[in-house]
Amino acid sequence: MVYTVKSPALLIIGILMMAWGWLNASGNIDGIQSSLQASAYKDHLKVKEKFDAELAVATELAKAEGKPAPDMKMPASHFDSAKATQTHMSYYFGGAFVLIGLITLMWKPTEGSLDYFISIVPGIAFILAIAFIVRWGLDPIFGNWGKAAAPTLGWDFAKIFNLNYVVIGIVIGMVIVNVFKIPAWAANGVRTARFFLKTGVILLGTLYSAAELAQLGALSVVMIGIFVLGSVGLVLFMGKRMGSNNSMTAVLSAGMGVCGVSATVAASPVVQAKAEEIAYTIGTILIWGVGCMFLFPTVGHILGMGPVQFGAWAGTGILNSAQVAGAALAFDPKGIETLKVAEIFNITRVLFLPIIVLWLAAWYVKHEEGAEKVNLAQVVVAKFPVFVLGFIAMFALSSAGMFAPAGHYKGKYFSSTEIKEEKLLKGKETKAIEAELTRLREGEGAQAFSKYLADKNVVLEGHKVTADEAYKAMSDLVANKKLSTRQQDSILESVAKLEGLDALAKGSIEKAHKNAYHTSKNIKSYRNWIAWLFAFGLIGLGMQITGKALKQAGGKPLIIGGVVGTLKAVGSLVVVLLFVKEFI
Amino acid sequence: MEAPKFERGTSLSIFVSDRREDFSALIFAFAIAFGVMLLA
Repeated sequence: MVYTVKSPALLIIGILMMAWGWLNASGNIDGIQSSLQASAYKDHLKVKEKFDAELAVATELAKAEGKPAPDMKMPASHFDSAKATQTHMSYYFGGAFVLIGLITLMWKPTEGSLDYFISIVPGIAFILAIAFIVRWGLDPIFGNWGKAAAPTLGWDFAKIFNLNYVVIGIVIGMVIVNVFKIPAWAANGVRTARFFLKTGVILLGTLYSAAELAQLGALSVVMIGIFVLGSVGLVLFMGKRMGSNNSMTAVLSAGMGVCGVSATVAASPVVQAKAEEIAYTIGTILIWGVGCMFLFPTVGHILGMGPVQFGAWAGTGILNSAQVAGAALAFDPKGIETLKVAEIFNITRVLFLPIIVLWLAAWYVKHEEGAEKVNLAQVVVAKFPVFVLGFIAMFALSSAGMFAPAGHYKGKYFSSTEIKEEKLLKGKETKAIEAELTRLREGEGAQAFSKYLADKNVVLEGHKVTADEAYKAMSDLVANKKLSTRQQDSILESVAKLEGLDALAKGSIEKAHKNAYHTSKNIKSYRNWIAWLFAFGLIGLGMQITGKALKQAGGKPLIIGGVVGTLKAVGSLVVVLLFVKEFI
Repeated sequence: MEAPKFERGTSLSIFVSDRREDFSALIFAFAIAFGVMLLA
């Protein structure tokens, strides 16, 4: 079979991307970019104003000394970096697509691997073009619109309804597949969405620390254990009471309890489920999964949930794995924290799969007369998703310090030695801290300060922070003009919150804190890669949510699924709100 | 009947077992991880 479809579409997409890159590089669309990236542009103007002032002073000095005007270059602002990213990505991908587009038009494809790999490129270009439009265009448009309307409405509608690149991308994908149909030249490439989501999950392994994973892992095992086993048990109970087929009930319980479609497929051979029962189950799971993907983030924002709470809720309450990733990124599109938590829950759920398959096999044999014996070990080995082990391997290498030094995994890390000369505190700033140090050491000031530390219960490395430790941190900051240790940073963080502290001293401590933290280039790159892989995968996922698949749901499975799905979503929300605290 | 070699299907779950796809994703993810590390 030959997969490549001859079409000029890939060439056209490539040319359009390169044109966007050129428009960006030439500055012809700076007006549009400045309104799309309003906050980055505001920062750009500040950087420019500061640079112009410094240049004017340097030029005056040079003139007075009879030297030529200095050759100074304006430092890159966030706005410049964002434009540069768009330019590079547009040129690299656009160039590759133009080249492959020309090859596709001139080449006579023959059956084989090369034909298959060429055939997926137009679909990848199609999704990537949508991702560019959504991430660089629609996302900021809705973001700015939501902020502009907030004073009138009293709430940011774009934030509450999650009108960000993830949700818009999925909706566009769903509209394309259900209204216009996916063009034949793009069909094969669109199916690679799952591959990119899997790559994203494996790469996510680079962003956890062992301590964080242990904390999240313990929480996820307890929550997933309760809700997975509870859902499976409840579906089995309801299925029996409602007189549903044993195979139908068993396969639905796997889908509702574990991880949606994959669990349905894994459990189907052991309970000898028929094709229509699998279809019913998948339809039910999809209706709930897609509904929750859009509903959960809105509820999360209304309830003011943090990344750990929302990630735990989405990872437990949403039925299908891909929709868990969609909801987590829809809730927190700029950070990866929520996705990190949600995926740990998701992966824990997948690890429960063998237990559930064994349980269902035993249940089915007990309740079904003449049930055939199936080799359980063979089913588990054949159906277990291997790439989950890839995530674990990536995490193991990452926590051994392979990809970035320990402590960098959050993207920002503390380093006193890397603080540049120009970032050191200025004379008036250290004087302000010194004045406060003197005040807090003497008389009433000292008493109030000790009481504040005791009341606030500032604990560091297992002991309560004393006033002497705080004095030492302040005097070290004055002497070094920068923070020396992470411990002193934690102590001074509490000092800065002291009521009545001089504003300049407070601002200087905060400045020293900011200057001591640096961005880890590697972790930043991994985060960017992960965000793009998930954005790509989720737009492609949207293109696979068809009305036909959703319409498969119906009858008793939909009733049972509705009851159990609602109980799982509401129950996990209550547990999360009551017992899960933010800790990352 | 055996499925065509390159048929990836249209399944909606990312956790569907597809060994060829899983290993390809594994290789790609490690290529990105090491690529970023070497280019930094």
